Amino acid sequence: MEKLKDALDFSDFSSAERIGLIIFSIFLLVFPWLGAGSFVKAVMIQFLLFSLFGMGWNTIGGYGGQVELGKAQYVGIGAYTVALLMVWWGIPFWISMPIGVLIAIGYSFIIGYPLFRLKGHYFCIATICTSLVLQDIFTNWKLVGAAKGIELPIHEHPDFLYMQFKSDNYYYYFIMVLFYCALFYMNWFRKSKLGYQLRMIKDDDEAAESLGIDIRWCKIKAYSIASAFVAVGGGFMAVYNLYIDPVSVMDLDLSIKIALMAMLGGAGSLWGPIIGAAFLVPLDRFLGSWLGGHKGLIGVDFMIYAALIMVVSAYQPRGIWGIIEQFRGKGK
Amino acid sequence: MEILIDALLQGILMGLLFALVALGLNVIFGVMDIVNFAHGEFLMLGMYTAYFTSLFIGVDPLFALPVSALTGVLLGLASYYWFIKYLLRGPAIAQLFGTFGLMLFLRYLAQFLFGIDYRILQKGIIIGKSFSVGPFIFDATKLAAGALSLIAFAIVYFFLNKTKVGKALQATSLNKEAASYMGIKTDNMNALAWAIGGGTVGVAGGLLINFYYVYPTVGLLFVMIAFACVALGGFGSIKGVFFAGLLVGILEMVFPVFGQLVGSDFLGPHFKFTIVYLAYFVIVVFRPQGLFGWKN
Repeated sequence: MEKLKDALDFSDFSSAERIGLIIFSIFLLVFPWLGAGSFVKAVMIQFLLFSLFGMGWNTIGGYGGQVELGKAQYVGIGAYTVALLMVWWGIPFWISMPIGVLIAIGYSFIIGYPLFRLKGHYFCIATICTSLVLQDIFTNWKLVGAAKGIELPIHEHPDFLYMQFKSDNYYYYFIMVLFYCALFYMNWFRKSKLGYQLRMIKDDDEAAESLGIDIRWCKIKAYSIASAFVAVGGGFMAVYNLYIDPVSVMDLDLSIKIALMAMLGGAGSLWGPIIGAAFLVPLDRFLGSWLGGHKGLIGVDFMIYAALIMVVSAYQPRGIWGIIEQFRGKGK
Repeated sequence: MEILIDALLQGILMGLLFALVALGLNVIFGVMDIVNFAHGEFLMLGMYTAYFTSLFIGVDPLFALPVSALTGVLLGLASYYWFIKYLLRGPAIAQLFGTFGLMLFLRYLAQFLFGIDYRILQKGIIIGKSFSVGPFIFDATKLAAGALSLIAFAIVYFFLNKTKVGKALQATSLNKEAASYMGIKTDNMNALAWAIGGGTVGVAGGLLINFYYVYPTVGLLFVMIAFACVALGGFGSIKGVFFAGLLVGILEMVFPVFGQLVGSDFLGPHFKFTIVYLAYFVIVVFRPQGLFGWKN
């Protein structure tokens, strides 16, 4: 009960932030009735999904300060579990998704234990390596569809057991609920013991160790929380797209996008990943569809992406939220 | 047995090239403690440079080597002075992301400029030629790549160990502060490290284009191999990276052949780079300082 109260308690934020959150929530709630086209709706779903991913990454990457570029492997685990259980045994989404999350958590403990002997770039490259290894395996493993991927069996619409709907509105509200669960969890997390420990480790790991914090164990816990978040999103991706292959759910580009959105918005703050996703997802989708019409402009959207990463990392490593806080600091 | 020895010899030739690619990465890491994710993209641009030089001017790709070396040096210097310098003010997390951004930027710049086609050179003095020694057949291109990589590596090794500037560079990588008290300008040494890093990888690109396709995302594979070499040899160790390159080259060639002999599908050529990634993971976890490393 105490935890729930903590999770719903936003009183330590400024009133501007709280009003912003309320306006934003109302907007999210009424959005499907605003008469937006299906493309805009798809963008909104993507935005909520990537916010979820970003908030997950934020536990280890933002609060813990460990640059993690292997989150796509957990998206893949979540998505493949849901898809395979559905194809093989017709197991409903509500059972297969938690199984996927459990597998992701178990796998993250196995991988995390050796991984967190490492720090900095060693850690970062090692996370890329593990993700690439898993992707290689899934690309060549015939049992799970290899490079062709898996198509989910179509059920009659609307089907709440298998989460298959014709209308995007259902998906929208479902991912919105997940988004709020994540937001409240993160709000609790940042005030929890683990949250404080992680920030201490990020600032000065030797001091943290001298205070008796088990650094490695803390990082592993945060890592598996992040993995669980991402696996939920992966399960959602499977039922939403109805088709998955190693490139769409396990690619390095996906890992980069996840980390980048949190980084750009402001790693280590509650709003950071949401702001980052709100900025980058529409940019990505609209720019992509606009540039897709011009044949000579392949890759320009990613160039803009990359230029953004470069500018942010050189001038304001704390991201957009850092810039906002900077301005507010001057206003006082 | 012959097939294994053949793979071993081929692996050594590839390994010499891998060592040259990893050398630049390791010099930059040693001096600045920065992992350059864009290293593979430097290689890719070196390949494109040699490709277009020989296609449009009509010189043989081997003679385009100086051009791609120069491109590499300029690329390294430009990256350092226009971008990496600014990253140094920020925290380590920003440095990681910064070079990552540089990597993506160069990759998609190449995609924008050259398209996503796979390109390979058809004409050249040594392209398509091969000769046999006993039962073994060598491609002239790979032999030239191995030999010239070895020469380039030796030149850099000599430069680092025998010249005054090279020694200054090594001093900086051992202890930045102490070196700066001796009057060695850290900024200049950083720039030099990037010039060497870009130059060597440019040469490697010029050699690789003789027998390998070039496409905008070719860099990722090679940068991962280079990371494995650097981890295996030890971050910051020049000698280590040479032997590590050889070892990775042999591993990458012998492994699929071994799988063939055993008849197992799971050891097939699809997984030859998976082994490299796994090797990196195992090495850094169990022996973070590498085989010859001194940095922790």
